[in-house]
Amino acid sequence: MTSEPVTAVVLAAGEGRRLAPLTNRRPKPMLPVANRPILEYVVEAVADAGIDRVVLVVGYRGERIRNHFGDGREWDLEIEYVEQSHQLGTGHAVLQAQAAVGDRFVVLNGDRIVDGSIVREVRDATVDGRTPVMAVTDVEHPREYGVVSLEGGRVVGVEEKPEAPVAAGRINAGVYGFSAAIFDAVRDTSPAGELGITDTLDRLAHESPIEAVEYHGDWYDVSHLWDLLAVNASLVGAAGADGAAGAVAAGAVAADGRTGDEPTHAAVADDVVVGADVRLGPGAVVGGSTALGRNVHVGANAVVENAVVLPDAVIEPGAVVRDAIVAGNARIGANVTVAGGTATVIVDGEAHEDVRLGGVVGDNATVGGGATLDAGTVIGDDATVDPGVALDGRIETGAVVRRG
Amino acid sequence: MCGIIGYVGDEAAGPIVYRGLENLEYRGYDSAGIALVDGAADAGEERAGEKRAGAEGLTVTKRSGEVANLDVPDSEATCGIGHTRWSTHGPPTDANAHPHTDCEGSVAVVHNGIVENHETLKAELSDHAFTSGTDTEVIPHLIEEELAAGADLRTAVERIDDRLEGSYAICAVHEAAERIVVARQDSPLVVGHGDGASFVGSDVTAFLDHTRDVTYLEDGDVAVLEPGRVDVFHDGEAVDRPVETVEWEADAAEKAGYEHYMRKEIHEQPTALRQAISGRLDADRGAVDLDVEFPEPFLNSLDEVQIVACGTSYYAGRYAAELIEEFADVRTTVEIASEYEFGGGRDPHRTLTIAVTQSGETADTLGAIRRAAAAGARTLAVTNTLGSTITREVDDAVFIRAGPEIGVAATKTFASQVTTLAMLAVALGRGRDAMSAARARTAVENLRGLPGAVQQALDAEDAVKAAAREYGDSEAFFFVGRELGVPVALEGALKLKEISYDHAEGFAAGELKHGPLALVTPETPVLAVLTDGAKPRETMNNVTEAQTRGAPALGAVSAGEKADALDEAFAVPEAGIVEPLVANVYFQLFAYHVANEKGRSIDKPRNLAKSVTVE
Repeated sequence: MTSEPVTAVVLAAGEGRRLAPLTNRRPKPMLPVANRPILEYVVEAVADAGIDRVVLVVGYRGERIRNHFGDGREWDLEIEYVEQSHQLGTGHAVLQAQAAVGDRFVVLNGDRIVDGSIVREVRDATVDGRTPVMAVTDVEHPREYGVVSLEGGRVVGVEEKPEAPVAAGRINAGVYGFSAAIFDAVRDTSPAGELGITDTLDRLAHESPIEAVEYHGDWYDVSHLWDLLAVNASLVGAAGADGAAGAVAAGAVAADGRTGDEPTHAAVADDVVVGADVRLGPGAVVGGSTALGRNVHVGANAVVENAVVLPDAVIEPGAVVRDAIVAGNARIGANVTVAGGTATVIVDGEAHEDVRLGGVVGDNATVGGGATLDAGTVIGDDATVDPGVALDGRIETGAVVRRG
Repeated sequence: MCGIIGYVGDEAAGPIVYRGLENLEYRGYDSAGIALVDGAADAGEERAGEKRAGAEGLTVTKRSGEVANLDVPDSEATCGIGHTRWSTHGPPTDANAHPHTDCEGSVAVVHNGIVENHETLKAELSDHAFTSGTDTEVIPHLIEEELAAGADLRTAVERIDDRLEGSYAICAVHEAAERIVVARQDSPLVVGHGDGASFVGSDVTAFLDHTRDVTYLEDGDVAVLEPGRVDVFHDGEAVDRPVETVEWEADAAEKAGYEHYMRKEIHEQPTALRQAISGRLDADRGAVDLDVEFPEPFLNSLDEVQIVACGTSYYAGRYAAELIEEFADVRTTVEIASEYEFGGGRDPHRTLTIAVTQSGETADTLGAIRRAAAAGARTLAVTNTLGSTITREVDDAVFIRAGPEIGVAATKTFASQVTTLAMLAVALGRGRDAMSAARARTAVENLRGLPGAVQQALDAEDAVKAAAREYGDSEAFFFVGRELGVPVALEGALKLKEISYDHAEGFAAGELKHGPLALVTPETPVLAVLTDGAKPRETMNNVTEAQTRGAPALGAVSAGEKADALDEAFAVPEAGIVEPLVANVYFQLFAYHVANEKGRSIDKPRNLAKSVTVE
C-alpha cells in the first residue's frame, strides 16, 4: 500500500439506555460478553484487519473504557482517545475525530461485534476506491436497524428503524470507510433530532449511490438485556482468544476442586468462561452458556446456568440463577430463585414478547435470601430486596423492597 | 530525589537522554540538564586543560524549570548523561542545575542524594572555582584532582568514593572518551543492557523504552558503561551482577487519555486491589497466603510489631496497626521513619519491624529499617517495587502489586498497601492463634468484596465532583474519623493539601472539641468517615458539634444508614473492616476535583517529588 496507514475510528461514546440498569454504571460497549467487553471484540477485529492505530471516541462513562484499553499496547495497537462530551449522535461523534485522522479512515460502531475480514475489506475498498464505503449484512429483524436499499450493488438509501414492513433484510453493518470529505458532509446534514451518521449517508446515497461491501460473517448486536445472554451464549461456546470455551483463568477454583483433601465437586459445563479468582463452593453447578467474571463467588450447591455474572458478584449457597444477568458487586442471597424462562418485557413503553430473560440484578444490588424473581424481573442498581420477597417487573435504582 | 539517565551507544545520545528525562520528570523537577560527550570532536586528553564546557568535546546544557524548557543541542554525540533536579541544597537556578563540571569543563557529573561533608571537602578544594550552591559540585572537582594525579576516570571515581560521606548515585563523563562511570551508595541506580548500547538510570522508567534487561547495582559498586558493555567493580575487583528482566510495561505508566495520572490511578483501584488479593485469600478457611514464612516460635514470642513509614505510607501503617493489634493480639506501634529509633525497653528478638514504602527507595524508611536490623529485629518490607533497595535489605518482602504509580499524590498504592497489610494482620492473627477462623473468614470476605465496593464509589464520581464544585472555595477543610477512620481522615487531608494547596487537617473526631473546634466556621467544611470500623455514631456527634458552628458537613456513610443530617452523603457498600478505605476513595475524588477546578498541577504539585530518596 502506498498511501498513509489507515486509522480506525471506533464510536464508543453512547450510553445504551435500553440496557439499563447495566448501563447506569458503564457504557454499552463495555458490557461483557464471555468476560470481555463488546468493545474489545471490535478493537480486536480492527487489529486483525492489520490496522494498528485506533481512535476511540468516548463520552458517557469514558473512564471505564480508558481504564480497560490504556494506550492499546496489550493489543499491539496505538489507541488514542477523543472525547464526545455530549452524546449528540454518531455523526457528531465522527466529527470529534476529525483532528485525529488522515485523509482515508474506517469507522466502526463500538457496540457491534464483527470480525476482522469485513474491516479489512472496507479498509481496502476505502484506500483504493471512491468513498464513502458501507458494509451491509443480513439479519433476522431488519426493522430494528438501519435498513439499506441496494441498486446494482450500491447503497441508494438508508432508513433507520423503518415503521413499514421491509422486503429485503439487508442492513447497515456499522462499518464504514470515509475520506476527509465526510466531515463537511456531516456538517451539511441538518437532522431533526440527533445527528446520526446514517442521516448523512442517506442524503449522500440519494445524490450518488454509495459503495457497498457485503458481509456474511458473524455480526452481533446487543440492543436489549436478553440479547446480552444470547450473544454471550454464542461466544462462550466459540473457540479462540482467551475467552476459549471452558476457559478457567489462573487463580480460579473450578470443577476439579482445590488441591488437598477437600475436593469441592463443583460441576462446570464445557461452554463456560471463568475469570480469575472465581471461587465455586462444593456442589455448585455452573451450567452451559455462562460467563463468571473476576472475583465472583458461587456458594455451595448454587446453580448458575445461561447467565452473565459480572466481576465481584456473590451468589450465595443454594441459589438458582438461570437465564439471568447479575451485575458487578451484586449479592444474590441464599436460596434465591431466578427460575428462568421467557417473559414479556417492557422497555421504554414497548412490549417485547416471549424473550428469554429470567432476571437482571443491577450493580451493587442485594437480593435477600429466599426471594424469588419471576421471569423478566429487572432489579435496578443499588436496590435492596428483603429476604423472601416475590418479585416481578422493574425495581428502580436504589429502591428498597420490603417484605409484606 | 532526582532523576538520572545516561546513554552510551551508536545513536545520537541527546534525544534518548531528553526522552529519559521526560519519563523521569515525575521524580523531581525544578531544573534539568544534559551533558554530551562527542569523541569524534578530537578531544585529546593532553589538551584537556584548554577546554571549556561548551567546547566540542563536552557540551553541557542546563536550566531551571521543567524538562520542556531545555534546549537540547543538535549534536551527533553518542554518549550523554542527564538529570532532573529537586532542590535540597541551593535553590532551583540555572547554575544549580546538574550536570556540574570541574574547573576546566572536562568532567561532567550528575548526582542524586546528598554529600554530607561537602563543606569540609569544599574547604579542602579551596583552589578550585565553584559556580553553584550545590553539594554536588565538589564531586567533579574531586575527580579533577584525581585525574590530575594520573588516575583514569574509573579509578578517580573509586578513590573519591572513600572521601564522600552521605548517600549518592553518581554518573560521570570525561570529554576524552565515550564512556560513563557510575557509582552507587545508598541511592538507587540501575544499569540497562541494550543492543550495542548501555544505559543507566535512577529508575528503570528512564530507559524502559529501549531495554528491559537491567542490573541493579549494589552499594559500593562502581560500573563502567561503554557501548553494549558494562563492567561492574566492587572494592576495585570486577564482580558479576545478575541481569534481570523488568516485567511491567513502560506504557502501563502512561495516561491512556486521562487528563491526569492521578485520576487514572484513582480509577485503577478496583483492578489494583484485585491484583493485591489475587491468589492470596482463602475465603472458606479464612486463611491468607502472602508467601512469607514466620517461624512459629518467633510468632508466638512476638512482643511488638513496629511499622515505619513516611507520608501516605505512614497513614496506611496507622490503619494496619489497628488491625494487627486487634487480629494478632500484639502491641503495634507506628512511627514516622525519620523519627524512628529502636527505643529502650524492647527485646529486638521479639520484635517485627515492617517498613511500608511504595517505591522501596524512600531514604527515611531505609534508614529506619537499617536501624531496626542493626538492633536485631526481624524486618519485613511492604512495597510496590520489585528489586528496589529495600527488598534487598530486609528479611522478607511482600508486594502490594499496585502497578506503577506516576501521580506524585499516592492513591491506588494507599489502598493496596492497606489491603496487603490487612492480609498480613490476618496471617499474623491466625499464625498466633489470636484470631478465630470465623473472625478471619469475615475479614477475608471483607477484603474479597473490596474491589467491587471501590468500584461503586468510583461510579458515584459525578456526585463528588458536584460537591467539590460547591465546597471547593472554602477557607479550610477538616477531615475527621475515629478508629480506622483516623488514618483515613489524615490521608484525606494530606491528599487535599498536596494537590489543591488548600489548608486541610485531619483529626481524630473526638479531638475536635479539644481545640480545633476554634477554627470551625461556616467557611470550613468538615468531611467525616461515618462507616463501619470508624465508630460512626460517636463521630456523628462530633460532626454535629461542627455543624452547630455553621460548618457544612460531608460524610462517607455505610449504605443503608441514615445520613439526613449531612449536607452531602456518599454511600459506602458493606465491606466491614475496609469500609473506611472505600470512604477514602471519595476523599481522593474530592481532592482531585477541588484541585482540578482550581487548575492546579495535579500530577506534579509544587515542591513535591514522587519518591523521596534523601533523608
